[in-house]
Amino acid sequence: MLATNLVVPVVLWGPNTPTHCVSSVFLSRDQRTLATGCYDGQICLWQIDSDFDMTPRCLLLGHSAPVLCLSRASIVQDNNFLVSSSENGEMCTWDLIDGKCRESVKLSQVHTCIQAYHMSNCDDIRLFCIGYYAEIMVMDPFSLEVLFCLSSKVNPDWISALHVLRPAKRKDDVVLAITTTGTVKVWTLIGNENKYSEPIYENESKQIRCLNAITMACCSQNQRTVLIVCAKYWQIYDAGDFTVLCSVISPSGERWLGGDFLSSDRVILWSDEGKGYLYRLPANSIPDNKEFHGPSVGRDAPFLYCVLTNKNEQPLSCPPSMKLVQTTRGGKTQKYLLRGDSEGFINMWAVPDFSLDEIKQLQTANATTKILQNTISTSLEQAWSKMNPPPVGILDQLNHPNEPIIKLTASIYLPLQSRLVVGREDGTIIIVPATQTVMLQLLHGKHQQFNDWPPHQLLSGHSGRVNCLLYPYLVHTRYDKAHLLSGGVDFAVCLWDLYSGTLLHRFCVHAGEVTQLLVPPENCSPRIQKCICSVASDHSVTLLSLQERKCVTLASRHLFPVVTIKWRPLDDFLIVGCSDGTVYVWQMETGHLDRVLHGMIAEEVLNACDENTGEGEVSGSSSEIGMSNPAVHFFRGLRHRNLNAIRHATQRGIHQLQQLNAHNNNDGNFLMKNRNSPLIIQSLRTNPKGK
Amino acid sequence: MEELKCLQLEFQWILQKEVLLVLKQLHDILVECAHRFPVPLHGNEGKKVDKFILTSAPEQLKVVVTLTGDSITSADINFKVQRQQNVIQRTSITQDFPWKIQQVQDAANHLQQAINHIDNVDANYHFKSSEEVLHILSNILGALQRGRTSLVVPKKKPIDELMKSRNMKSLSPNLPEDLAISFYIQSHKLIFAAYQLTNNQGTMKFESTQAECSVPWLNEVLVLFTVALTLCQQLKDKISVFSQYKDFTVGNETTTALSY
Repeated sequence: MLATNLVVPVVLWGPNTPTHCVSSVFLSRDQRTLATGCYDGQICLWQIDSDFDMTPRCLLLGHSAPVLCLSRASIVQDNNFLVSSSENGEMCTWDLIDGKCRESVKLSQVHTCIQAYHMSNCDDIRLFCIGYYAEIMVMDPFSLEVLFCLSSKVNPDWISALHVLRPAKRKDDVVLAITTTGTVKVWTLIGNENKYSEPIYENESKQIRCLNAITMACCSQNQRTVLIVCAKYWQIYDAGDFTVLCSVISPSGERWLGGDFLSSDRVILWSDEGKGYLYRLPANSIPDNKEFHGPSVGRDAPFLYCVLTNKNEQPLSCPPSMKLVQTTRGGKTQKYLLRGDSEGFINMWAVPDFSLDEIKQLQTANATTKILQNTISTSLEQAWSKMNPPPVGILDQLNHPNEPIIKLTASIYLPLQSRLVVGREDGTIIIVPATQTVMLQLLHGKHQQFNDWPPHQLLSGHSGRVNCLLYPYLVHTRYDKAHLLSGGVDFAVCLWDLYSGTLLHRFCVHAGEVTQLLVPPENCSPRIQKCICSVASDHSVTLLSLQERKCVTLASRHLFPVVTIKWRPLDDFLIVGCSDGTVYVWQMETGHLDRVLHGMIAEEVLNACDENTGEGEVSGSSSEIGMSNPAVHFFRGLRHRNLNAIRHATQRGIHQLQQLNAHNNNDGNFLMKNRNSPLIIQSLRTNPKGK
Repeated sequence: MEELKCLQLEFQWILQKEVLLVLKQLHDILVECAHRFPVPLHGNEGKKVDKFILTSAPEQLKVVVTLTGDSITSADINFKVQRQQNVIQRTSITQDFPWKIQQVQDAANHLQQAINHIDNVDANYHFKSSEEVLHILSNILGALQRGRTSLVVPKKKPIDELMKSRNMKSLSPNLPEDLAISFYIQSHKLIFAAYQLTNNQGTMKFESTQAECSVPWLNEVLVLFTVALTLCQQLKDKISVFSQYKDFTVGNETTTALSY
């Protein structure tokens, strides 16, 4: 047993850069931290030193879907918290200093845009959220509670863009928003709104000809003009009566992604090609001008005076995420256009400040538009290559300096044997003594001079990448201590003798790469108890008998990828949940498809499997995410004085403890055993693209 | 090597021809789906009017509704609750305060987003990598999935939220305080549910009675959603087969050092 509860986590990153397909970007107010959210649900924190020298510092794991919004949590400059929101409704508040998740919730509403705003009679920021729902939700960034909602009376629909602002010389706040179908709405907030009050409806609304707006920004200098960006065009409106003053369509082959005001007479737009476009507005769109709101004169259109492009542009797999940020250094403010792309690159442009004369000169000379390349560029890959010595990987000792590095693709740790099993991209599996390997990479000493130390064992049977590994004995002692399984890109599942290193059997039953290996619960029929379950990318699931060395059940014909496997062992049912929400119920012994379920009933059957685990069954669910800690819900219940929530959480907590004890009585308890060993090695994490 | 060359050619064909073809097909299906919606969507005028009668067990419940677009614009609601079998509860919905079924608008908006994702690909665009295609396909799949789910799996709401909801305020006359009703969609059916709250020594419980009817356009919409989802997934699977050959790029005839 450990003497203390001190746990020292260490990550071995390895020589290969993780992929990072950026979906959102954020720069902290103090300009010390940059955050990039990505499509895999991870968030990378970059430390910014002087001259925008950026170093990746943390990778925050918590979301299971693309990170759509990143927002600050406080007006205080050195308050280092960040709120993130993902495409399946998860929201987290992170501490930027140590990377801890301070609060998390899962909402049934999904946000697509969040504006952090400090209301006039509040202590701190509130989050104004819009998304796949018809209201504006106002949330507290630290408790992640919904404080109140703004509803619509006229043409209620999803809000596609919003801007919250305080009109000059007034104490109330104004929310300006536009629906997907083009109704502009205005709410006036006085500060005493709460969720128990009557629905808060808009004060004004007007239908304009503008579908699916992406962003809406009100000019901060004059609060008289509004920029609305749609994919095909951007427009300037008079905030007074919402008439169009000017309009510009997107460059051919490109679509606008967003934009903002630079000053009352200039705007910046960015496109899905990742370029920035700087325009000077015509006279009728500048409030100080006497021609303001006049008819647009044919020759007097918005003038494109500068384009921000990227050096050595490489093809991207999706549009980059971009944002205009403002920094203040030594009393000087500078605007930057920030961009994160699918290849993990961060690019920044200092937005140039052209004088009016320069622009006039360009305009009269009919000169070609100025093109400016980005000044600051970095990427995870660059950060990796800059490291000397490079980030250590667990099997670095096996790499020969002159040969290309073989990527590691899967791993499991066997605490009983103190062995680490690692699958690699070339189809080999390496087994090494865990402690010695860790010593070699992390501790200095004589052992580093030894040749070919620690000894390793090599299993080769797969042709191509090893996707997953399973040591069933770790889950339950009914399995043979010597059996190790691996699933590969070559459609095969291999059964190995761990001790002799021999290939005992090769199961070739799938018609796609094997992606996951699981263990059925212990109260299955005796025949199924000797099986393991494997899932493949052809949407098939099999039960492979390790004793009979053959496939017992092939559950194929699923039209969509398999996302959940659950069990009803007493009914002899294997429950397969697919990505489209359909559920297939298979008889395990006979391989007979019992039922196909859709909709509500499918969901209920999946949930019923979880409830079943209460009767001393081992849960076989494979897609649980770590958001259901009863303790967290208990405290949330306390805070919100929600008796039902407290009761529910307590019940679940006690239930979990009982389950843990039940496990402990069976000698095959892997959780407790793992706790007892001083060293735990978590399995390798990769993202789909990284494989 | 011969096989690899064939695979490479097939990959190029998929990326340059097949993807655009399937996207076009998908677009047609989705536009067709949009036209079945009774709300203004993708050039469709919307505001279709349907009349339905929902009943259950003799004399227990009878609701006559007029569904205009995504709202119930008029309804005549009569039902009995379990505890008071001799009282008929009556209420109605009038045109001035319609009952809005948010599920329809949500589904329509998700569908519109899926169409937008396809519209964002120019008709003669050259795809450069499988990742690019996979990214677009997962966007479309996500939108379609969310759209179909909003019709098939109605969101569960706490009963007190329902009682406070704006829709409940459209009833005239108001129902007694311990009663609530709800209209929602589940797959191709419009469902009416009536709830009675009881306070049993501090714990709130409720009993419900419900009735349903089939809505023809919902059935068609769901079929088209499903066809589109399947088509999209099939293309994604096809592309994924090639994405394991990392060295495959368009215009790269000779591939070397394949990983598999």
